[in-house]
Amino acid sequence: MGAGRVGVESGVAKAERASGRAQTVPLAYDEMLGAKGKVRPHYAALDARLATLSSEDLADRQRTLERFFLLQGITFTVYGAESSTERIIPTDLLPRIIAAEEWKTIEAGLTQRLKALNMFLADIYSAQRILMDGVVPRDLVLGAPSYQREMQNLYVPHEAYANVCGSDLIRQPDGKFAVLEDNLRVPSGVSYMLANREASKRVFPGTFRGAGVRPIERYPDLLLSTLKSMAADWRPNPQVVVLTPGVYNSAYYEHAYLARLMGAPLVEGRDLVVHDNMVYMRTTTGLRRIDVIYRRVDDDFIDPLTFRADSGLGSAGLFNAYRAGNVVICNAPGTGVADDKAVYAYVPEIIRYYLGEDAILPNIETFLCREPAQLSHVLANLDKFVVKAVGASGGYGMLVGPHSTKAQQDEFAAALTADPQNYIAQPTIQLSTAPCLIGDAIEPRHVDLRPFILCGEKIVVTPGALTRVALRKGSLVVNSSQGGGSKDTWVLTDRKDLQP
Amino acid sequence: MMLARVADSLYWIGRYVERAEHLCRLSDVMLTATLDRTESATQIARIALAAVGDPEGAVKARNPYEAALSLVLDRQDGGSVASSLGLARENARQVRDQITTETWERLNLIHLRMNDPHAARAFAEGSQDFLHDTIADLHLFKGAADATMSHGEGWRFLLLGGYLERAQLIGALLEVCFGDKRRRPITDHAALTSLLRMGCALEPYLRVYTADMQPRYILEFLLLDEDFPRSVRFCTARIEEHLASISRPVEAHGVAGPDRLAGRLRARLQYADIGEVQAGGASAFLGAVLDECAGVHRSVYEAFVSYPLEQRLPA
Repeated sequence: MGAGRVGVESGVAKAERASGRAQTVPLAYDEMLGAKGKVRPHYAALDARLATLSSEDLADRQRTLERFFLLQGITFTVYGAESSTERIIPTDLLPRIIAAEEWKTIEAGLTQRLKALNMFLADIYSAQRILMDGVVPRDLVLGAPSYQREMQNLYVPHEAYANVCGSDLIRQPDGKFAVLEDNLRVPSGVSYMLANREASKRVFPGTFRGAGVRPIERYPDLLLSTLKSMAADWRPNPQVVVLTPGVYNSAYYEHAYLARLMGAPLVEGRDLVVHDNMVYMRTTTGLRRIDVIYRRVDDDFIDPLTFRADSGLGSAGLFNAYRAGNVVICNAPGTGVADDKAVYAYVPEIIRYYLGEDAILPNIETFLCREPAQLSHVLANLDKFVVKAVGASGGYGMLVGPHSTKAQQDEFAAALTADPQNYIAQPTIQLSTAPCLIGDAIEPRHVDLRPFILCGEKIVVTPGALTRVALRKGSLVVNSSQGGGSKDTWVLTDRKDLQP
Repeated sequence: MMLARVADSLYWIGRYVERAEHLCRLSDVMLTATLDRTESATQIARIALAAVGDPEGAVKARNPYEAALSLVLDRQDGGSVASSLGLARENARQVRDQITTETWERLNLIHLRMNDPHAARAFAEGSQDFLHDTIADLHLFKGAADATMSHGEGWRFLLLGGYLERAQLIGALLEVCFGDKRRRPITDHAALTSLLRMGCALEPYLRVYTADMQPRYILEFLLLDEDFPRSVRFCTARIEEHLASISRPVEAHGVAGPDRLAGRLRARLQYADIGEVQAGGASAFLGAVLDECAGVHRSVYEAFVSYPLEQRLPA
């Protein structure tokens, strides 16, 4: 049996043990293997299937998968000196599987969280009760760069400010899921969730059929009805469009994909015309009124008259049309204040304040460097913490303590002392690991979980997620800009639910 | 209802795909003909290169392989097959939500093959195979569009672009072969056969006129045949049809709409007589046809894509 080849009798378990998993990441929870390397029950079917496949079979399937992505044009372009080449986003063929019982907790937790965060947004953009009651510091909210004064006292249907949310969850070493980040601005990745599913149905049709995986295909029509519900009060059959920054945006594929599956026009800023506080798009037969804009353009770029004057991505006068109640922008501008990394630390308090409940999904312990006592604790333990700039995202502006050099730590120490407001710190969490095909062997890699939640008239959690993978061995950074990939995520049906 | 920008992109996909197919065919005919080192072989290469508008065609015709290679794969040349397909695919990407997955996959696949690092080697090892396969793939693209896309406005813009481009390409080819600038008429049998091949017209021509290769018949067939899909007349009839089916915007005062121009163009070809065309000089007739094609193009833009906003604002 060659190196890395999957054993016939013991499936992946043996390969993973042989790869020396125990030494590299002693603390991480493994999605597939429990105590003493025993395969967890919800992974048993996949393990049995893998035991019958040689490494050549797996490589074949990996190629099928990559070809699927290439053919669909799910690629990003690497611009070189002379020519540009297209690459696919690294995708792993082994699904990550979540048991029905665990998903129930996740679903309840996410619903609770988004409900509270939307109540929070409605509050801070109107009466600001929570600030008056001193639950969240006033300057933390009003001073956040993502707080949009223009949104003050503006009517938002159903008080649904964040209509599309993509939360980042991680599984801690004790096996419990926690929320690492709430993405309430323009979260992306849902097309990969859907494309990964299409691909894995081709790669593992047999296993898929028997596994009882919950379907996610309804996401586009649920998104459409969520968006329509935002204008249903005043227009019987609202015209919905998707607003994209254009073909050079890295998430363009996703914008086109969602537009196509919703049957909504994909518009760019230059297709829009605002006249008399109404928004129109230029069609072949003239101008046509728009009611709901699912925008995939950041707040700052929506309207050069209200926000950044140099933006060519939005449309002049759009925000005024929104203020006048003639069009709905989804997500609402200014939602970013609720996923600010410093406000994050207060989310459990926010949930308790509005709902009178304890958070179902815990936060990661977070130190706010703006508090002097917490700052000195962080500075003393820089080698153990993950330090993040409050305004940054995508894995940039971040120090992963245990993987950093002394020089990097010194650099961050200086930055923290100079501008403590701008930083938070969290203990380094060993993300859970899941089996991945690396070369021709199956090895564990760290993963997170990004489920997608919709909120219009009601909140809907799609039973699936994007699992992002840190493909570099030992790495804890899953962002695609930093060498991350993704894989399909199977949420299993509860067998009890299937019985009559 | 369709976005103006989307209509524009679909129209250009149609044009670029048609252009790529035509260039492949010209290159293929040129390479096949020049396998024999005869006087007429060089003439054929000169015709092909002049038809694509290459000012140095006469010089390049001495090295047909190099000329074909750059016509097909030169990415620096914005008019090459690879560039045209790259542009078609880029346009398709911008309207990815408007075309079916089946249609997209075909175009994307052709583009990927053209951009493959091994494309030049594949061309060197079997240029005729390479060109033949590319043409066949472009036919698959058209077939997928026909069989899977709704035959609504978007599809019509795609075909409108294709037929307009085809009318202009065939018109330009005929101008090279039958125009006034040509000093000696083409009489060589091999050259006439190749000319028909460049229009993909050899077999359909034989069925109508038998193997009697007469320049006059060839001009008549490629210009005025009612049923042959690459004749200029056939193209103009389709242009008129598609324009008539695309929903009309509000009429602008005093400006001839694209459908009126297209109708006049179609009538010009429908009621033309080959004897009269030749008597007046083919160049005069072809020049008028090509001008009117350009007029239809401009007027499509004015009517559907870059119309002035003031005319369309709600009252």
